[in-house]
Amino acid sequence: MSMMLMIHPDKCTGCRNCELACSMEHEGDFRPKASRIHVYTWEREGFSVPMMCQQCKDAACTTVCMPKAMHRNPANGQVELDQSKCIGCKMCVQACPFGCASWDFLGSQILKCDTCGGDPACATICPTHALEWVEDTVSAQARKRSFATKLKNAFAEV
Amino acid sequence: MHGWTGKILRIDLSTGKIGTEALKTDLARDYIGARGLGTKYMYDEVDPAVDPLSPANKLIFASGPMTGTFAPSAGRYDVVTKGPLTGTIAASNSGGAWGPELKYAGYDMLILEGRSPKPVYLWIQDDKVEIRDAAHLWGKDVPETTEALNAETATDAKIACIGPAGENLSFIASIMNDMQRAAGRTGVGAVMGSKNLKAVVVRGTGAVTVADKAAFLAAVSKASTMIKEHPVGGTGLRLYGTNVLVNILNSVGGLPTGNFQDGHFETADKVGGETLAANQLQRPKGCFSCIISCGRATKVSHPKYKGEGEGPEYETAWGFGPDCRIDNLDAVIKANYYCNEYGLDTISMGGTVACAMELFDRGIITLEDTEGLELTFGNADAMVEAVRLAGIGQGFGKKLALGSYRLASLYGHPELSMTVKKQEMPAYDPRAVQGIGLNYATNNRGGCHVRGYTISPEVLGVPVKVDKDSIDGKAELVALFQNLTAALDSSGSCLFATFGIGAPEFAELMTALTGFAYTGDSFIEAGERIWNLERLWNLKAGLTAADDTLPPRLLSEPIVTGPSKGAVSRLPEMLPLYYGVRGWDANGVPTPEKLSALALA
Amino acid sequence: MKISYFALLRDATKKSHEVWQRPAATLRDLLRDLVAEYGPNFARWVLKDGELAGYAIILVNGQDVRGLQGLDTPLSPDSDVFIFPPLAGG
Repeated sequence: MSMMLMIHPDKCTGCRNCELACSMEHEGDFRPKASRIHVYTWEREGFSVPMMCQQCKDAACTTVCMPKAMHRNPANGQVELDQSKCIGCKMCVQACPFGCASWDFLGSQILKCDTCGGDPACATICPTHALEWVEDTVSAQARKRSFATKLKNAFAEV
Repeated sequence: MHGWTGKILRIDLSTGKIGTEALKTDLARDYIGARGLGTKYMYDEVDPAVDPLSPANKLIFASGPMTGTFAPSAGRYDVVTKGPLTGTIAASNSGGAWGPELKYAGYDMLILEGRSPKPVYLWIQDDKVEIRDAAHLWGKDVPETTEALNAETATDAKIACIGPAGENLSFIASIMNDMQRAAGRTGVGAVMGSKNLKAVVVRGTGAVTVADKAAFLAAVSKASTMIKEHPVGGTGLRLYGTNVLVNILNSVGGLPTGNFQDGHFETADKVGGETLAANQLQRPKGCFSCIISCGRATKVSHPKYKGEGEGPEYETAWGFGPDCRIDNLDAVIKANYYCNEYGLDTISMGGTVACAMELFDRGIITLEDTEGLELTFGNADAMVEAVRLAGIGQGFGKKLALGSYRLASLYGHPELSMTVKKQEMPAYDPRAVQGIGLNYATNNRGGCHVRGYTISPEVLGVPVKVDKDSIDGKAELVALFQNLTAALDSSGSCLFATFGIGAPEFAELMTALTGFAYTGDSFIEAGERIWNLERLWNLKAGLTAADDTLPPRLLSEPIVTGPSKGAVSRLPEMLPLYYGVRGWDANGVPTPEKLSALALA
Repeated sequence: MKISYFALLRDATKKSHEVWQRPAATLRDLLRDLVAEYGPNFARWVLKDGELAGYAIILVNGQDVRGLQGLDTPLSPDSDVFIFPPLAGG
């Protein structure tokens, strides 16, 4: 069993505290453009979705990484970046289908979620629990239940 | 510098000259930022007698030192200029994410001068600043403008713009940012329109830095906990939004009704926060760095009033609701959407429609004047149409767009305008709540509640309950709230943080962030300095003690029904006491001793 | 007497107002009965350790009981009582 970051867009208010906490944790200042997590908001509908590395099982970023800087840590199941091996070729940026590896031109570095070493600052600060750091099996169950509730409500209206 | 970026961007729209300059460190410390610092720059650079819509007026977008950090609910900025509605110094405060983006682009303030010869917008990407043609955007509403600019600049750029109301120089025009957030009051949108400036688009990749990280993180953690655990700040605002106040103000008899003819509205519950939460609310929204989330993403499916967007806040629901004797929440929200789309201040718009309804009710204006609009109290369709026409500046809407003071004056009845210093009062009846009346009368930007929110102690009982009907201690209370608010507005914080923290916590945050030593007392003193500077500006602009008053109705016509029946405002008794507390003379002029104590002499 | 409920108290009581028939000489008596009727989700917003919870707003005939006699505020069958949980706006 391992941990995962669970996203609940329905609870996200678009406040971007997660971006600020991420940037402070990794860069020591407030620079959302250097955050490993980003919140996208559709202003007309007032809907927001946080996006960060999904720690894919078949991770495109690890496959394309020639120096094997991007690799899976078998101990915790996370995709990790070894900065000392990274040559800055940005192939991972090209490959990630979610756009969740990015290049920070100011810091000359790849930005990718490292789960803050197992205690993600974004989940800690999130005021509405739209981001949760949970055991993967439990989180999946909770999501199933939550979706089942929506179905139940939908059928109840029919 | 820490907290502040230390840099100002200055653009002369007449000549196209773009320059940057260092922020004056001592001014930053003493006037903090946003409202305070912007006012100081205005005071030093612009003649207060300036015509607000002339090129000689300046338009300043100013963030605070906490803006762009994760200090709780502190992502705000102010638009500082001379307000065309009031003729006072104006600082209109707004949330969203635009203010932080300006900081990340590297600037504490953007100072705009002159007037562009043709419609333009600004595209600011860090050090790269362009003045671009906006001919294709002129006439577009706020959502259209925002989406068009995101498409032609960057999808993650933040946009502050005006709608048709600002272009048409409406005295009640707002500047909108992030599509849904408003720098609403005092007509700042008209100043932007007068400069032929449609929008300011910003994208920043830089950082806001912190002087003492460990201390700042500790101060943020403490402040956040205090806000979350406070019974008032913690849950209610997220669930019901500010509009939960409709029922409470109505229950104490302080809900202005029918253009302030009464203080109680029988069916107010139908437009309250509980009704909104049960029907049109989609989800709560938070401004940048907010942990409270009082914003309302809403949707109306009623075919006649269909739409989606943000709102209403309490003042908006009241203005288009009870103040117009309307209890149709769908219609109220539609009027709110029009204001956001065309760029109008909802409080002034609501107050102006209510005034027009009283003029109509009394036969002072007729269907001929209104070009067919049946502006009777309670007519929801007419109210919504009136707002639409004001937004696009057509028909009778042209006159409504002037605000209620100028509208009522056109027909010889300025006394029916429920304004202070020509700005519409918000949703708290000064006859039922004595302190708020003193705040309205003495407020540096006219009828305004957020710069001295005595409703908190007088009605809600936060931090302690005081008797709303008494005038004892109200002069001290109003002055203290005005000073604290001036300081926290200037820091970039949201007023609602005070539903959990006070001056000592703001001082801790500011000290850790900036490296300058603030105490609770020195933070409030900075607010007092800012308040007095605003007062000096207004006196030089030609305002006098005679402007520190309320509409005659509130001083002489008692509330007719409800729990506050029979009450009038006792402003004349409180005002001299207030001047005394302020250290001002009998004419409301700050004494040399007071100015010297505040380093303003 | 007539009792009106607001905000979260409507969730606890499942109603916005009601006519209350049981006699209550003081607010203390009334709240005791209401807590018995509506349970902890009602009680948590209005009472703390047997006293008025901080920031709860209770009006009797439009007057805030914090300016009257608090829990000892007398009630009569024609009293109009408004009960709000702690809340804020602006």
